Amino acid sequence: MKPAPFEYHAPSSVAEAVALLGRGDGAQVLAGGQSLVPLMKARTVRPAALVDVNGVAGLDAIEERDGALQIGALVRLQALVDHPGAARSHPLLREAVRHAGHLATRHRGTVGGSLAYAAPWAELTAAAVALDATVELRSPSGPRSVPARSFFRGPHQTALQPGELVTGLSVPAQPPGAGAAFHEVSARYRDYAHVAAAATVAVDPAGACRAAELVLLRVAPAPHRVDVSGLVGTRLDDAALGALDAALAGLDPPGDVEVSGAHRRRVAPVLARRALRDAFARAGEHREAA
Amino acid sequence: MSTAAGQRVTVHLEVNGLWREAVVEPRRTLADLLREDLDLTGTHLACETGVCGNCNVLLDGESVRACLMFAVQAEGRSLLTVEGLAADDGTLGDLQQAFHDHHGLQCGFCTPAMLLTAHEHLREHPDGGTDEQIREAISGVLCRCTGYEQIIASIRAAAEAGP
Repeated sequence: MKPAPFEYHAPSSVAEAVALLGRGDGAQVLAGGQSLVPLMKARTVRPAALVDVNGVAGLDAIEERDGALQIGALVRLQALVDHPGAARSHPLLREAVRHAGHLATRHRGTVGGSLAYAAPWAELTAAAVALDATVELRSPSGPRSVPARSFFRGPHQTALQPGELVTGLSVPAQPPGAGAAFHEVSARYRDYAHVAAAATVAVDPAGACRAAELVLLRVAPAPHRVDVSGLVGTRLDDAALGALDAALAGLDPPGDVEVSGAHRRRVAPVLARRALRDAFARAGEHREAA
Repeated sequence: MSTAAGQRVTVHLEVNGLWREAVVEPRRTLADLLREDLDLTGTHLACETGVCGNCNVLLDGESVRACLMFAVQAEGRSLLTVEGLAADDGTLGDLQQAFHDHHGLQCGFCTPAMLLTAHEHLREHPDGGTDEQIREAISGVLCRCTGYEQIIASIRAAAEAGP
């Protein structure tokens, strides 16, 4: 249970980090280490070199610009959960990420690591897709931005190229007063989600839905965005939500050692409705408070 | 900083108020540095994969899994381990005494991590918070003996006794 020896680099700048990653010697990025280190101990992963980005300057800030949120790759998951500005402008981030691991692992786990590792249960990936965020990358040839909606390709598969470093997540401004909710089920409390649903709903002055997003985890190879445009103009009553059945009918979730595909197919619509209803109710609360 | 594979480096860190140093390979985990190099065996290792939480220590006041950090990453940082909770003469701290009084341990293996996790929780919630919040706080530390109820009672009692 001890990792194999590795060359260890602790760069202090993004430029230095990407130069090390660009050498093409199979170096891996060490951020929070909450997923990488167990894999190294099992020697499932044996990187010849680690580029520890924890000391890289300028990657640990959460900044708001005109309602948009710029989240550095080194922001710890718990720091994102605790950030009052982020909770106000993009409540889905807190709703989703508070389910990730436990307090001690959220203290180390990072936004960049969660995106790059792209675990199929990673709550942040669902939120990034629902919020139409953009993943910011850097390589020796310069910066690159990839929309979250095309970044995630499958379990642990992303658009990240060898030698590229995730530097941040850019989340566009949300419709004012949008509500958000996240629900998941797992075998044990705070264990990996078997199925999860992320939802945001914005309402018009009359209290009807004017925009909605629904993203499910673990029903498809990557975070799965469901077309819920049919909810616009409704109050998410049973009749309106009934239309979801058609949108979810084609799902063919994978099964694994923990849970069958059939179980996921049965649970997903329940969580989807629950998340949308809660998000709608919270949007209504915002409207009354405003 | 760059270190070749197998090359040792000197790590300096503050443990329970004392600056310590050790010469380790970068692959040495923080938990192994504490146990093997500093002889602080109160930090217990069980799963060593981040699942059980038995190796929790407080890094600059925040709970972390000592098995999932490399010792070199703790350079210049401040750690609290279970050895830092009792007085120098071995007198138990109030939280430790509450665990003793309320049967918050049986085999004792998870106890160091439970104590540190509870210590962090009580710092954030001096009145103990709700039972729900206590359960959430200790949810990341597995205990195979107690069924957790006495641990919750111990933390509640420590909160009621005050700082």
